[in-house]
Amino acid sequence: MISDLTQRISHLKYLKFYLISTLFGLLALLPLLIRGPFYSHILVMIFLHAAAAASWNLIGGYAGQLSLGHAAFYGIGAYTSTLLFVQWGISPWLGMLAGGGVAALVAGLVSFPCFKLRGPFFTLATIAFGEVVRILAIYFRELTRGAIGITIPFRPGIENLMFHGKMAYCYFALVTMMTVFFVSFLIERSRFGYYLVALRGDEDAAQALGVNTTMCKLMAMMLSAFFTAICGTFAAQYVLFIEPISEFSIDRSILFALISIIGGIGTAAGPIIGSFILTPLQEFLRAWLGGQYQGLHIFIYGCILIAVVMLLPEGVIIWMRAIGRRIVPPIRSRG
Amino acid sequence: MLFQAKKVTKRFGGLTALKEVDLEIERGEIIGLIGPNGAGKTTLFNVISGFYSPTEGNIQFEGRDVTGLKAYQTCRLGIARTFQIVKPFGNMTVLQNVMVGTFCRLRSAKVVRKEAFEILDLVGLSGKENELARSLTLPDRKRLELAKALATKPKFLLLDEVHAGLNPIEISQVLNILRRIRDEWGVTLLVIEHLMTVIMNLSERIVVLSYGEKIAEGTPEEISNDQKVIEAYLGEEDGE
Repeated sequence: MISDLTQRISHLKYLKFYLISTLFGLLALLPLLIRGPFYSHILVMIFLHAAAAASWNLIGGYAGQLSLGHAAFYGIGAYTSTLLFVQWGISPWLGMLAGGGVAALVAGLVSFPCFKLRGPFFTLATIAFGEVVRILAIYFRELTRGAIGITIPFRPGIENLMFHGKMAYCYFALVTMMTVFFVSFLIERSRFGYYLVALRGDEDAAQALGVNTTMCKLMAMMLSAFFTAICGTFAAQYVLFIEPISEFSIDRSILFALISIIGGIGTAAGPIIGSFILTPLQEFLRAWLGGQYQGLHIFIYGCILIAVVMLLPEGVIIWMRAIGRRIVPPIRSRG
Repeated sequence: MLFQAKKVTKRFGGLTALKEVDLEIERGEIIGLIGPNGAGKTTLFNVISGFYSPTEGNIQFEGRDVTGLKAYQTCRLGIARTFQIVKPFGNMTVLQNVMVGTFCRLRSAKVVRKEAFEILDLVGLSGKENELARSLTLPDRKRLELAKALATKPKFLLLDEVHAGLNPIEISQVLNILRRIRDEWGVTLLVIEHLMTVIMNLSERIVVLSYGEKIAEGTPEEISNDQKVIEAYLGEEDGE
């Protein structure tokens, strides 16, 4: 009975794997099908936000540590690679890894004491952290050029991670998103992933089962910061201008969390689904309504968010899974 | 000697929850731990399992000093516990709950899954492995609490009122499970229980705590005739 069951489960796992591969294959065709810079831009932003939200999801979703300071890591990624490139001409490819490393280091140092705080107190601490980093970036003018920001000289070429047109950016963002997705996918199925979800449920109970909860949270936070910083570097290379207010803004931290929550918190695909809903919504509403009626686009955006949270509190992915189950009936296991 | 606690004291500010408690346990024993409410039973569990470190005193497990180790460390050495107020991981399935415990010893998700099924079979939860833990009834939550602790394959298992809230049939089922894991796996048990029939039936030796102090220790017969124990439970005959 049990071996029969495990066989069925592994069969199901492969089915899921084929399904995911097909979906990513279709996503890879999207940049080719889309015409016009506006739509390409939206696609880049969808992939980028999905990647950043999926990074946030590692600590905020699986481990349940609701950070609202992730813009700090995003900004650290953008600033590290940009400063290395502008000051010393170091390739953004290396700058990207350096930024990820710096962000992971900062995440480790800052979150170690913060993890003593639980629930909303942890969240408050991360908000404070994000604000402090923003203020520091404005204050240390000699290094960061303060509030004026830094313009990155456009020298297109693969070595500088800068391209003409948006196609290459599209694919780069897609690859980043897929990388974070697969990292999440693997973690979900590993001991580490089980430990994160367990400690989200109950930290004491997890410790009683041999889980070093502090270490697990620390690792998840550092991994999350690393990938968030990579997204930050990419965004800097795409926009070619960075300044503290927008890089480190709390709106950005909230957006990463919101995308995961709307899509399905603590799931590998949730942030991708969330980004496909929220990012275009935001961009279209701004493009259509932003100029005519001040603030109307934010109002509509807010209404839609409230509706989704009320109707699908566990994220859109739960609803999609329910539909999926209707199409492919689940295999009931009896042990 | 599997386990030895020497003069363990735990103070919270001005309150002394445990006062110089000595406890010696041989491998394979089943020990009952009883006492009136607030006697310090759960505090003793928390100290042994590493959730609190003792203010004074020393704890040894398998000849090793484990005083002040963290809970996850004592678990890896082979001391597991259940919680009086059960703590299932509500957002995980029953199977996944047990797998978290099994991962304590094993890495491969495949092997862990297989072992978790065996544990579920043992505690009588098979067939419910894909249910979310938060949807379980209280008796099943108690079983799950036991299954999680067993999944770590402990040498020494601390059980905090696993029978509370169960009906007589369920109680005898759990008693059978406990005897089985002692007889077949050689697990040593330290059991907190308020139900006297259970404790008298199960334990080979009983330790009685009152106001943080050990006031008696002996076989069930000795304990049920001990004057101090009767006083602790019923109050002194000519009290104020």
